[in-house]
Amino acid sequence: MPERGSISLFEVVLFGVCLTLVAVPVPHFYQDVMIVTFIWAGVALAWNIAGGYVGLISFGHAAFFAIGAYTSTILGVRYGVTPWIGIWIGALLAAALGTTLALIGARLRGPFFILSTLAAAEVVRIAALNWTSLTGGAEGIWIAPVPNAVNMVFASRTTYVAVMLGYVAAVYAIAKTLEGSRYGLRMFAVRDDEDAASAAGVNPLLVRAGAMTISAFLTAIGGSLFAQYFQYLDPTHVASPELSFQFALLPALGGLGTAIGPLLGSFIIMPVSELLRSYLGAVFQGLHLAIFGGFLIVVMLYFPDGLAGALKRLGLGRSKGPP
Amino acid sequence: MTALLEVSNLSCAFGALKAVDEVSFSVREGELLGLIGPNGAGKSTVYNLIAGAIKPTSGRIVYKGRVITGWKPFEAARSGVARTFQIPKPYGLLSVIDNVALSALLHDVTVAAARETAEAVITDVGLADVMEAPVSILTVGQLKRLEVARALALRPNLILFDEIMAGLTRPEVMSMTELVASLPSRGMTVVWVEHVLYAIMQAAPRIMVLDRGRVLADGIPEEVARDPAVIKAYLGEEMSLA
Repeated sequence: MPERGSISLFEVVLFGVCLTLVAVPVPHFYQDVMIVTFIWAGVALAWNIAGGYVGLISFGHAAFFAIGAYTSTILGVRYGVTPWIGIWIGALLAAALGTTLALIGARLRGPFFILSTLAAAEVVRIAALNWTSLTGGAEGIWIAPVPNAVNMVFASRTTYVAVMLGYVAAVYAIAKTLEGSRYGLRMFAVRDDEDAASAAGVNPLLVRAGAMTISAFLTAIGGSLFAQYFQYLDPTHVASPELSFQFALLPALGGLGTAIGPLLGSFIIMPVSELLRSYLGAVFQGLHLAIFGGFLIVVMLYFPDGLAGALKRLGLGRSKGPP
Repeated sequence: MTALLEVSNLSCAFGALKAVDEVSFSVREGELLGLIGPNGAGKSTVYNLIAGAIKPTSGRIVYKGRVITGWKPFEAARSGVARTFQIPKPYGLLSVIDNVALSALLHDVTVAAARETAEAVITDVGLADVMEAPVSILTVGQLKRLEVARALALRPNLILFDEIMAGLTRPEVMSMTELVASLPSRGMTVVWVEHVLYAIMQAAPRIMVLDRGRVLADGIPEEVARDPAVIKAYLGEEMSLA
């Protein structure tokens, strides 16, 4: 068994393929698919640090995504602060909310914690909708589509694809490093049995708060990058519960608790759902959602440990022979 | 002799039930104290109180001269108190070695060092052949030994064992008893709750009997085994030390 946290050949090849896709000319539509896939994969990886590593299942990560998107955009559009700085401010604000949620929900477990995250995200969404003077409310905010590197607005889609690949690679590296570190081991222990972890000298509250903080921080960066690419944001696009569910669904389908799970989940599901939407959306409204839903049910029924788990079993079965 | 652990008038009530009722005892540094009693006598509750898992209704616990009543479990662990759980609580998705390495991380700085410590402890408790296995494949007896390994990997001063022999075969009980009996010579003080009487009566120089939350007897095994009150409450008429 490879050491936890070490990089496998598969990961190197995958990264190589992604780099190639960035470098070669690809039609705009596919570049858009790649951009969204990379951002969502980064957020799914960030979500997994809380949900998969420590077991803090959150249906409220859209809150962090929205805080990142709004902070960098408002600072940029209204106050002329470059998004290169605004991103970090948004991430810190989201991290503060993440810490707060973990501390407030210290005694909440399972469904009760989930509900608290859902509620927190709704608070953020409603604030974004009604605090019109700051957020533009339902009308949203536009980022001027004038290419300027300082404003993080690029002329070429390829630059966006490269930036998003950088984002997902960075989040992946952080998740991987955590996995192999002592903090990671403490997270897994708290997830699997909090009483036992505590009896081994681990303060579970600190571990949970730490994981939520990191997770929220990284999610907010994804939100800021999405705003820079989309150049428009309103509460429906960056703060809706559907977004929160998606962020939770991708790692759940890909496989919880390892970095490769959310990555595979996103790399398979995001392009498929985008392609289905574009090809079937015009032919038969809603058909792509039905197919997508069926696919989700099949994965959940037959691969309870996710796509990563299924692939791993396939690989082990081949290399190992009879047990 | 200095007492490492001093429990005075400790009580803990769950509603109307007094699980632990005015219990006092002390454990000397380097001692091996056996704690026996019928089910529901309050043995595990006493452990939970000392290890900080629950707070007492009244009473005082002094460890190394410090009042530590009501501390948190991780504070207990960091101060050198280790405990095992009667019903094993493994980290279900981790391997055996990682289960133990987590405990070793209390003193080891790197994961690599912790795994090295864990390897030695796992070999000590006889789980070397399942070192890298996921805990989900372990038998009850192996899970009990995993509990012991995790406690030992904390390198504690005081260790609280809770029924670590249940589910073990007789030869396994023998080797585990040997291990437990060797701990005082390795600088550890041991309190040991056990229902496998032949093991504890043979290894522990001092036995304390709890019944309905109270201390019924406290002395050398031979005396305790002959005490009429103990026989009535726990051992049964036919108990012999053989």
